[in-house]
Amino acid sequence: MNAAPQLLFDALSLGGIYAMAALGIALIFGVMNLVNFAHGNYIAFCVFALILPSSDVVAVMFIGKLPTLLLIPVILAIGAGIAVASEYVIFRHMRGATPVAMMISSFALGFVIQNVMLTVYSSRAKAISLWPDLNTPVDIAGASIPLLQLIVIATTLIVVAGLALLLKKTRIGLEMRAAAENFTMARLLGVRANVVITGAFALSGALAAAVALIMATQTGVADIRMGGQIMLTAFIATVIGGLGSLPGAVAAGFLIGAISVVLQTFLPLEIRAFRDAFLYLFVIVILLAKPQGLFALRSAGPRV
Amino acid sequence: MKTFLTATVLALGLVSPALAQDINIGFAIAKSGWVEAYDTPAVTSARIRIDEINASGGLLGKQIKWIEADTKSDQAQAAQAGQLLVDEEVDMLIVSCDYDFSAPASLAAEAVGMISFSLCAEDIKAGIQGVGPNSFSASVLAAVQGATMAEWSVKERGVKTGYVLLDPTIEYDKGICTGFDWMFPKVGGETVGRDTFKNGDASIASQITRIKALAEEPDAIMLCSYMPGAGAAVRQIRASGINSLILNGSAVDGSYWLNAVPNLSGFIVPVQGSIYGDDPRPEVEAFNVNFEKVSGSRPASTYAYPGYVLIDLWAKAVERAGTVDSGPVVAELEKMRDEPTIFGPRTFTSEIHHQNSAEMQIIEITNGTPAWIDTWTISEPVPLDVLLK
Repeated sequence: MNAAPQLLFDALSLGGIYAMAALGIALIFGVMNLVNFAHGNYIAFCVFALILPSSDVVAVMFIGKLPTLLLIPVILAIGAGIAVASEYVIFRHMRGATPVAMMISSFALGFVIQNVMLTVYSSRAKAISLWPDLNTPVDIAGASIPLLQLIVIATTLIVVAGLALLLKKTRIGLEMRAAAENFTMARLLGVRANVVITGAFALSGALAAAVALIMATQTGVADIRMGGQIMLTAFIATVIGGLGSLPGAVAAGFLIGAISVVLQTFLPLEIRAFRDAFLYLFVIVILLAKPQGLFALRSAGPRV
Repeated sequence: MKTFLTATVLALGLVSPALAQDINIGFAIAKSGWVEAYDTPAVTSARIRIDEINASGGLLGKQIKWIEADTKSDQAQAAQAGQLLVDEEVDMLIVSCDYDFSAPASLAAEAVGMISFSLCAEDIKAGIQGVGPNSFSASVLAAVQGATMAEWSVKERGVKTGYVLLDPTIEYDKGICTGFDWMFPKVGGETVGRDTFKNGDASIASQITRIKALAEEPDAIMLCSYMPGAGAAVRQIRASGINSLILNGSAVDGSYWLNAVPNLSGFIVPVQGSIYGDDPRPEVEAFNVNFEKVSGSRPASTYAYPGYVLIDLWAKAVERAGTVDSGPVVAELEKMRDEPTIFGPRTFTSEIHHQNSAEMQIIEITNGTPAWIDTWTISEPVPLDVLLK
């Protein structure tokens, strides 16, 4: 076994998951100044969408039974759907509200989603057998890694590249970038606020769905609290990336994944249980050095 | 707030009109929220035993009634629920399955010297050493489960090398590993490595890399975790091609999660009784059938059983004491040495209100099918200083 490539693949695949989740959060923050804490609940919601709604202990596949080519777009659409719906029902009516008020309503929304799922599916973790073959290990560059890790890395790269193209080459992309830089000015210049915001929510929800598919395949379990940990890590990634900066969110997602894997590998056993404490220590150091994040937007600085 | 309390008291009154000549048991349990799924099966079993006792003439010639208050899977609400039932002057308080949610309620009972029983807490703190001298747990300490896995795997499976994978998210997990670490070297096992992970980790790739970097695959991996993290870890371990025997605590019992790891083999769980219809003690299977009749489905895991044991033992102590007063009942409970129950003998002492040794059933999962394979009692009870580590 070759240690260095193994470490690299472990870091890239964990980072990829964080990057995708962070991107979902950064997209919405960019256009609305909203840190959407319900993002983790979107992830759990999409995982549970794979199985039949029931509180029985044994889960029966529902959408998860569809052929892969159909399953992926359907789940992505469900993710986009719940995100767009929450924008339409809640956040649209809060456009003038302070970021704090919006953040608190996103917490409330997450609470509602989680409790609805609790009622429908019960709190017991459920098993999901989604694409178990993807966990088969393959040998690459002296490292033995599950196929899924490669898919995660590839998917992240495709998503990031696709998003970059969308932002650079399309009208909605241009509008989103303009909105992220200065929303008021963008609106004055004719950017369609509703279209941009709905688009951002749809993309964000679809990203949550992609994370959900990866989590379900990797862990084989569905738990109503499962998005929480990822949401927290991804939120921190968006902060160190520079709130609202999309490349920053991706880079910081990968960075946190890498630091986490390196700490898990090299910390002595006695303090390994405190891995996350060391991880967040790094975060504090980064923020002390660059309070606006690594890739701060020009608009994020003091304006006067 | 006042309206809420009034409403709750009214609701309590409606659920069960408590009569002075009856014996009243209070249940401060989760009827909503995420702990509910763990409390309900044990509560169902407790009620089965209560109904049996009532049907055969009651306890001390009186019928047992129960009243309940919802902890809503919240620690603050648990304290309130416990207090509410203590104020109702119940004769005994039954509290949640998990220590974190049972302690706030049992502390309310402890404050007035009332006996309280946790449905299935497996931490030594749910007893004299934590809550106080009137609190008990009906389950088997986590450390006993780990020690059972250590001794059984060495003696019966010839395991020589072990790897300890701990998820330190909750106290229960640490208890399992503590018991394993105490027993494994005593019986000649060698721990060749150890690592930690978190229950919510998105991936345990680095932990698996470390196991695969060992010169030789360990004979067994002691996995100290619970669902869903445990299922996720097993899926990733098996997928990476590691074929070591995987040893666990009782928390992963049940076949409901097996779809997560298709065709799982070499997976061992210690339990108090088999839910799979093959327990060597016919009374256990008779209980499973009865449980299905009452609740509509067979027990989903071994955690249904302690509720039955709890009422069984408490009622025996009440019979012997001739009263439901907590003092004499606690004294009678503390006299119990290998007291027979249908799920094995139980012992309480004036030092430990838990099982620090127990007859455990060994369940092995082969090709995705769990089955009873053995019965094992550790050769030596886990000492108190190990439990308090």
